[in-house]
Amino acid sequence: MFLVIMSSMLWMIGCSPFVDNNQIEEISPVILWSITEGAEGKLRISTLVPPIYSEPKKILTQEVDLLKEGGKDFNLSYHREVKSGQLRMVFIEQELAKKGITSLMNTLFTDPDISQRLYIIIVNGSFDDFIKNQIKTQDVPGYLLYRLLKHYEYKKQGDMTIVNLHQFMKRYYSPYSDPVAPIFKVDKENFIYEGTAFFKNDKLQTNINKRNEQIFQLIDHNHHLKVLTIPELSITMGNVTSKTKMKLNLDYSTLSLNVELKGRIEEYRGKGDIDNLDQLAVIHQQIKSLFEKQTTELLKKMQNSEVDPLEIGTLTLGPFSKPMSEDEWSTLWANVKFNVTYELHIQPLTNVRK
Amino acid sequence: MFWKKLKIGHHFEKPEPQNTVLTIDSIRQILANMDDAEIIERRTNNDQMVMLLYIRTLIDQERLNESVMEPLLHCDLEEINECIATTKVSRIVTMEEGQQKLLTGSILLYEPMKNQWWAALLPNPLTRAIETSETETIMFGPKDSFSEQIDQNVTMIRRRLPSTSLKSERFSVGSVSKTEVVMMYLEGVTNPEFISIARSKLSTIDFDVFLDSSHVAAFMEDHYHSIFPQFQQSDRPDLCAFTLSMGKITFLVANTPFALTAPITFFHLFQSPEDYINRWLVASFLRLLRYVSYVLSLILVPIYVALATHHYQMLPMQVLFVLLESRTKLPFTPFWEAFLMLITLEIIKEASLRMPTKSGQVLGVIGGIVVGQASVEAGFASKILIILVGVTAIASFLVPNYLVTKSNTLLQFAFLFLANYIGMLGIVFGIIVILVHLNSITSLKQPYFAPLAHLYWRDWLDLFIRGPFHWMKERPEYLHTLQKWRTSQRRK
Repeated sequence: MFLVIMSSMLWMIGCSPFVDNNQIEEISPVILWSITEGAEGKLRISTLVPPIYSEPKKILTQEVDLLKEGGKDFNLSYHREVKSGQLRMVFIEQELAKKGITSLMNTLFTDPDISQRLYIIIVNGSFDDFIKNQIKTQDVPGYLLYRLLKHYEYKKQGDMTIVNLHQFMKRYYSPYSDPVAPIFKVDKENFIYEGTAFFKNDKLQTNINKRNEQIFQLIDHNHHLKVLTIPELSITMGNVTSKTKMKLNLDYSTLSLNVELKGRIEEYRGKGDIDNLDQLAVIHQQIKSLFEKQTTELLKKMQNSEVDPLEIGTLTLGPFSKPMSEDEWSTLWANVKFNVTYELHIQPLTNVRK
Repeated sequence: MFWKKLKIGHHFEKPEPQNTVLTIDSIRQILANMDDAEIIERRTNNDQMVMLLYIRTLIDQERLNESVMEPLLHCDLEEINECIATTKVSRIVTMEEGQQKLLTGSILLYEPMKNQWWAALLPNPLTRAIETSETETIMFGPKDSFSEQIDQNVTMIRRRLPSTSLKSERFSVGSVSKTEVVMMYLEGVTNPEFISIARSKLSTIDFDVFLDSSHVAAFMEDHYHSIFPQFQQSDRPDLCAFTLSMGKITFLVANTPFALTAPITFFHLFQSPEDYINRWLVASFLRLLRYVSYVLSLILVPIYVALATHHYQMLPMQVLFVLLESRTKLPFTPFWEAFLMLITLEIIKEASLRMPTKSGQVLGVIGGIVVGQASVEAGFASKILIILVGVTAIASFLVPNYLVTKSNTLLQFAFLFLANYIGMLGIVFGIIVILVHLNSITSLKQPYFAPLAHLYWRDWLDLFIRGPFHWMKERPEYLHTLQKWRTSQRRK
């Protein structure tokens, strides 16, 4: 018994020589940080305090050289100790993301207080202005954004790309994939999802628009889309599921991408008659061609931006072959040709006539 | 002070050895100043002089007249013991025997001519009716419970186990109280080692007064400093009969309705008689619920203190907001808040035990509304803590063993201190200490933490769940019974 008590004590001391005073009424756990580029290469960090309904909210902003310095300076300008243990969202300005965010991500990644389930969001516009405006009408504005992200993260519904710190860093450190993050357009009044931002290493390279976003969601991880709109053909497809097969040929010069798409036509405002089997077949062919074209364009966009968010590089790995280096794959990826095919299994809106 | 103690000690006189020959003068001397002591003289039909000595309050007066007085007056026989119409007549010689018989409800008969002493047992049947158990209430199943009459209690067990294998050995404990203890076991089933341990423990008890079985248990326990009882107390004859059939030993103690059972394990404290009445799935669910409740009653409030003091990160965000909201303006730290509320809860619990039943509702109103609601409104406690304290209080009553429920409080406070100083690590540390302690203690020299340690897989069928009876055809392995099987077909 003595041994157990002693070893338990030693274990505890080994774990934490100092017990933090986190008395809940004396601290202010923040749930979001907004990071933008400050003057002279500095960082401009903002947060919202306190997360208590009944107290007036305040945005704390610091212009600092280091991320942790910002965290420390918050404490000096607020009557409660600002704690980052409940940090759930980091909003990074698009311009800052283009310059590289490795140091920021690493700081967040190595902080034992900060959970790896921290959502990374790229914002196009002033997030601080948005929050300042929201304070007037909402009790805890940041919390609603957290619920939004959490909702779309659940079961990867395919409506939005939601990425947390762990997933971002995993892709960052993998030689065969590049990180992605959601990008939102922000102004004083609105917080609107724009699409997915693609990173090359830690730098934001490009982002895709809503139309390409649908294709990306479908082919990324065999996704499910509740609604797939095709304005070019005046069609809305519902409950779309996709099954993607990717294959690189032996010399890695051609990528064959086969997408099996299942869904049903839920809305049609075109001129054709979808009750007619022949005309429906034509529409099927049109959808197929359009998707093949759009997917090829998306892949080419990725290729041109030198990013591989679909983790195509992993197809080069084999059980008995030496894995190639990141540079080798990058060179190969720049020259890969695409052969995209779609298989459609579409249920019509109504019974069709032969 | 020590010197004084020694000096005072000198004035005590050693009691005279009692095994002197019984004489009328010596008995008169010991009965002096006892107003309920009677010494009367009677002559039999053949003119024999007989003196009757008894303590009026201890004997059955009606039976005295019917079984002794009347037969004596009309007796023509030489030997007066043959005249008395009661079976329990014995000859006595020593002073010690005489005193013991007098004080346990016998009358002494003295024949001056022959200088012979007889004792006839006529105890006063002062008892209450067989009532429903109040401490171990069940919805279905047998309703009778033990009373203070030890023989009646033995009868209740014997009726349930009409077997000649059911042995009962009688002991007397307490130099003053002379409390009878009956040890019952199933010969051929119960491990003889347990019996000999129990026998030796009972015969070496040295104390003056035993008023309850828990006093006896305190002297028989292997680890009397432990907070966990090593003897199961129960006032239900059905439970005692069941445990006897498993191969355990039951101790009935005179003047108390609570029998003792041993050897037990920690897990027996969570078993209710109703477990063996309910359907096995229902019983298993309820038993698991009891374990969960026990753990909750120990660590729910300490977890609150640990989270609110050290680990705000572990709280779900929405709960954190609610907690922040409710704690912002409180004057006490989470520890003092919890400490004061738990102390108040204990005061209410203790008061409810002492108060008459009809006042119980008033106490509930005072406890629930005044202490709970008002303390929140006055800003002395957070709403969340009040909820947790309430859940803790209710959860603590789910454990069937009352002594365990009581011991919860102390452990809870220990956890509270640990949680305050080192947070969740403190709680984990406390749990480790309890587990180590449970593993180190024994009941009648048998491991208290069996069948977990030592590990007896087969006994797990009646551990966290209550398996179907069809699967429990073997007696518990940790009891090392002489008969393994409970069924006649596979019995060897």
